[in-house]
Amino acid sequence: MIRKPTLTTTLITIVGFLTVCPVVMLLFGSFSEGFGSFGQFTTAKYIAAYTDPALLEILWNTVIFTFGSAALATGLALFLAYMNTRTNIPFKGLFGVISIVPMMIPHILFAVSWALLLNPSNGILNRLLMDVFQLSSAPFNVYSLGGMILVEGLLDLPIAYLIIAPAMSAFDIALEESSKVCGASTLRTLMRVTLPVLRPAILASAILVVVRSLASFAVPSVVGMPGRIYVLATHIYRSISTGFSADYGKAAALGMSALAASITLIYLYRYLTAESGKFVTISSRGFKPSLIDLKGKRYPFFAVVGLVSFVLIVLPVVVLFYTSLVPYSMVPSAKAFSMMSFKHWIDVLKDPISVLSLKNSLTLGVFGATLGVALAILIAYVIVKVRTPAAGILESLSFLSFSFPGIVIGVGFMWFFVRTPLYSTMWALLIGYIATYLPYGIRPLSSAFIQIHSHLEESSRVCGASSFQTLRKIVIPLLIPGIVSGWILMATMFLRELTLSVVLSRPGTEVLAVQILRYAEDGLWGKLSALGIIMIGISSTLVLGVTYLGRRFSRVEVVDR
Amino acid sequence: MEIKIKGLTRNYFSDGRLIKALDRVDLTIPANQIFTLLGPSGCGKTTLLRCIVGLESPDEGEIVIGDEIVWSREKNIFVPPENRGLGMVFQTYAIWPHMNVFENVAYPLTTRKMAKDEVRLKVAKALKFVQLDGFEKRPATKLSGGQQQRVALARALVAEPKVILFDEPLSNLDAKLREETRKELRHFLTELQITAVYVTHDRIEALALSDQVAIMRAGRIVEIGDPKRVYFNSGNQFVADFIGRANLIKGRIASQDGLHAVIDTDIGAIRGLNSQKLASGTSAALCVRPEFISLAEKPVGEGDNIFRGKLESLVFIGEAYEGDIRVGEQLFTTTVSPTIQIAEGDEVSISFNPDHCFLLPVAEDS
Repeated sequence: MIRKPTLTTTLITIVGFLTVCPVVMLLFGSFSEGFGSFGQFTTAKYIAAYTDPALLEILWNTVIFTFGSAALATGLALFLAYMNTRTNIPFKGLFGVISIVPMMIPHILFAVSWALLLNPSNGILNRLLMDVFQLSSAPFNVYSLGGMILVEGLLDLPIAYLIIAPAMSAFDIALEESSKVCGASTLRTLMRVTLPVLRPAILASAILVVVRSLASFAVPSVVGMPGRIYVLATHIYRSISTGFSADYGKAAALGMSALAASITLIYLYRYLTAESGKFVTISSRGFKPSLIDLKGKRYPFFAVVGLVSFVLIVLPVVVLFYTSLVPYSMVPSAKAFSMMSFKHWIDVLKDPISVLSLKNSLTLGVFGATLGVALAILIAYVIVKVRTPAAGILESLSFLSFSFPGIVIGVGFMWFFVRTPLYSTMWALLIGYIATYLPYGIRPLSSAFIQIHSHLEESSRVCGASSFQTLRKIVIPLLIPGIVSGWILMATMFLRELTLSVVLSRPGTEVLAVQILRYAEDGLWGKLSALGIIMIGISSTLVLGVTYLGRRFSRVEVVDR
Repeated sequence: MEIKIKGLTRNYFSDGRLIKALDRVDLTIPANQIFTLLGPSGCGKTTLLRCIVGLESPDEGEIVIGDEIVWSREKNIFVPPENRGLGMVFQTYAIWPHMNVFENVAYPLTTRKMAKDEVRLKVAKALKFVQLDGFEKRPATKLSGGQQQRVALARALVAEPKVILFDEPLSNLDAKLREETRKELRHFLTELQITAVYVTHDRIEALALSDQVAIMRAGRIVEIGDPKRVYFNSGNQFVADFIGRANLIKGRIASQDGLHAVIDTDIGAIRGLNSQKLASGTSAALCVRPEFISLAEKPVGEGDNIFRGKLESLVFIGEAYEGDIRVGEQLFTTTVSPTIQIAEGDEVSISFNPDHCFLLPVAEDS
């Protein structure tokens, strides 16, 4: 009993360091001239960063990009959720797939696959359309704001769906029914009752997508930069990636506004999700809403859903796999198939840097997730079981990093690591990863701890088991599914980590996603695709594991009556 | 096995305030009886149970189970729960979700490293006893509330403890199932000849199940007795009111005669049982239960405890009517037979036998 406060304080210190340190260093860094003159106050970097005439256009691009992605992702999610929960559309199993599978495909690879399809010079789809319709120029240019919004919107669709679908199915159907009784049509009911009542969930989803696209680096770098369209994330990246003149002070000054915007939005998001509980009335259990009969429109609507899932899941993998086999970008044809070989795969596996990045990413995934989960177990224990006021502080602290844009926090950590021997080591990446992705590990573990009612432990003691036996036979078996989910979730996130890594990764500590970005910058699409497919293979195996265990886990719960 | 509790005190600090969950409780729970701790929520009954089983440590006092001191402040003894050899059924049943029925019930035996064949035999016997034979392989999560309750009982009984403790084991069941399970439980426990300590806030459960009831309030035991005695002749106004519906009429003792005494009230003299030998001249209250008040349309003859009043309300509650009759300023609640032909507003006579009402000292604090 006396040890608990010290455990809490130790954890507050660790988590406080992980989340507050990069922010504080970012702040100090933004007021410093450079790494050499840390601590000498200057506002020069702010003046340089915010009087840049290009900034206005960058901010405007950022606003269009983030809001556009939010509108696309939320709109599509609403359509899909409505189709799934309210209509008799066939093959509903597909909706579960849409919400989970895209997590297996790293964002950078998704972005690359769209660049391969729709780039204006030799995009596969563009060339196909040009051949079919005898066009003289490419009909689509993915290297545009529209292209960025399309790719980012699709990438964020699963997260929007996961917010909107539960709200839609928890919706009290009586509200709709009374509207119909009053004489309103299905469409009028949808517009006047259903959507307004779901407003908090829709807003929450839109805000979360804005935050994620603000932090997104994969799409702006792979799709935006070739078209010279810069948003805040790539603008920050540009100021630190140019060799000798890397300007971390300016990057920090710019990062401060991205961080402030992000924290404000997450705060708004938490406020809205707390409110939405009051707004969306949850009807008593066992109440199945009546389904709207789509009649003849069932299959046309299903075709739309099928297209969305094809574009989200199948297309990227097929394009990458195809590209990894052909010698250079070409439209699929008999000739292309005759030239297929595993040359790129062999090249990648012989390339020392690719192999090193594979090794580094795996090490970080396995070792980092183990450390991260160990930390998450203790934090979840304190948050769920100890529940002192100090535990509340720990909870807020550990969820703070949820709102951090990776590249900004990377710059903050950079200001810290250059002053320590950790600079340019795997430890730097490891600490950064754990700090940024800790909330993802804590979530499955706190729900595992919530499941362990204190009576389950007490009952074991009364049955004659010592506290050690109770730990071994009751607590750990009940906790294991949570530990496994948390571990695999963190491992997949570390394996594909890009935004922090582009800042913190140095020669010798290359990681997979950064290596893929380098290939994309050099236009080595074949090698990129081969390495990408290897990456998807590894992370799919892990995600399939997480869903399988998650399903088993969900079966293990105390039935109330 | 007998349980002796001496001077048990347990304090909590909540929001900077000291809360006495147990306030110098002295109690002897007799062997092989069903003993119920009854009281409103927050009265300390669950704390007392958890102190007996060892999940909580008191601040002062001593607990003796059989011949063994399991907790004593003075002698610095604390026997951990796993070494007390008790059985317990929790309010949530605490069925471990990662084990099936067999594993749950076998747990107390396997923990004690009993031989496998013996474990199988004993588990089968316990499951048969609670009428769950054939459920061994069922996952714990696939059980209904009533079945979970029985698994919890089987698990508490399987190691043949001398004492079994129940913490509101029926409160998670719906009304009909609760009634059935209560009867079953009574049957099981009578058959077993075991000391059972049962915590509840439901007076009907307490009256129906127990050999002895202890009524608790604010960390203290207010009264102990067998259910009938506690119901029909409570020694305390709080108990009289808590254990059943009661009409309480305040007054002053006028005269004594044998077992009875007469109390002067605002509506006249009333004769009732005076088991506590309240002296003439002291303030007292008379308690009469609704079911003992008989009702007549016409004035009845002379005798003790007959009053004339007006029927203020008559509400149908299923098995009977509930009537409120005003006599002067006093309102009497009575149970009215559904066959009687009266209506609200009628003048009626009420009467009750002096043996069916009792006198109580007036509590200063209620």
